[in-house]
Amino acid sequence: MVTMETYPIEIGGVTRHVPLHEPFPGVRLPLVEFLGDIEFVRAVASELTNRVPEDTDLIVTAETSPIPLAHELAAARDLSYIVVRKRRRPYMVDPLIQEVESLTLGAGEVLWLDRRYTERILNKNVVLVMDVVASGGTMQALERLVHRAGGRVTKRLAGFHQGNGAEGIETVAELPML
Amino acid sequence: MKSYPIEIGGVKRELPVVQVGDGVAVALLNLLGDTELTEAVAEEMAKRLPEGIEVLVTPEVKAVPLAHALSRITGLPYIVARKTAKPYMIQPVTREVLSITTGKPQLLVLDGTDIAKINGKQVAIVDDVVSTGSTLKGLRELIESVGGKVGAVMAVFTEGTPRDDVIALGHLPLFNPEEA
Repeated sequence: MVTMETYPIEIGGVTRHVPLHEPFPGVRLPLVEFLGDIEFVRAVASELTNRVPEDTDLIVTAETSPIPLAHELAAARDLSYIVVRKRRRPYMVDPLIQEVESLTLGAGEVLWLDRRYTERILNKNVVLVMDVVASGGTMQALERLVHRAGGRVTKRLAGFHQGNGAEGIETVAELPML
Repeated sequence: MKSYPIEIGGVKRELPVVQVGDGVAVALLNLLGDTELTEAVAEEMAKRLPEGIEVLVTPEVKAVPLAHALSRITGLPYIVARKTAKPYMIQPVTREVLSITTGKPQLLVLDGTDIAKINGKQVAIVDDVVSTGSTLKGLRELIESVGGKVGAVMAVFTEGTPRDDVIALGHLPLFNPEEA
């Protein structure tokens, strides 16, 4: 039987013993999963709801794991949200394309936003939402994309922060590197 | 641009008709970002969910908010079948399907840690639109290969040819590209 080391995370009375992932020898990272965990997502969302400014028009996030958090936040504040995709979809027309500058990933990830959605961002106050941020590269790329679509980013929110960097992003809790 | 009107649980939308390949256009349903429609769909779907279902399984990406909302309403857990194996997954199980929207082979991946939640259980597959059913077929095989029983397939819409193996809230026709 495989025994797995875990790390306890407690948010608003909800505790999860999350697995530790070892991306390279000697460094272990607690692995938070939002997909499939309603109770945990709602606990994190309730910590973030009040940090969404009053004048917010729209939430913008990236696929896939932050989607349930964006959905909960949007529902709680009666807002809609836009999911920026990581792959081109066949129905996209003249999409905005934004490269993610990431030190950790090496190979650059690319964000795709269908042109249909850019007009919903124009002149709007936008809050960016992610699940976990490390260097903040994806969040930065989201911000450039919103800026290119003519929107204003008024707040950057994430469930968790891990590692160094990512200034200017408000999070619920810090995840250690063990 | 042509659009196609839908109504679910009192929520109305005009779906844009977009070309997705040579010779075919579809009415594009995108639950991502539409909290009002997603919640209305989940409410309607919860009413139609057969008795005895123990767990929901959904393919990444567009049905994720729906599975999340349906899970919240029904109290049933949900599991996302991913499109790529992640480095942190433990003994993932995969199936390859041919995606009709992209024409490319597409992986469906279950994390090994999710298998115990499916094995021996009555599973409902939750998807947004079932068209040719290739994703559905792959997902069904994947679930059965880890010991789950597919007790129901729930979708917002069937598309193209109506099918009786899916519990859907409605049906979408296919369009000629000239209409897009």
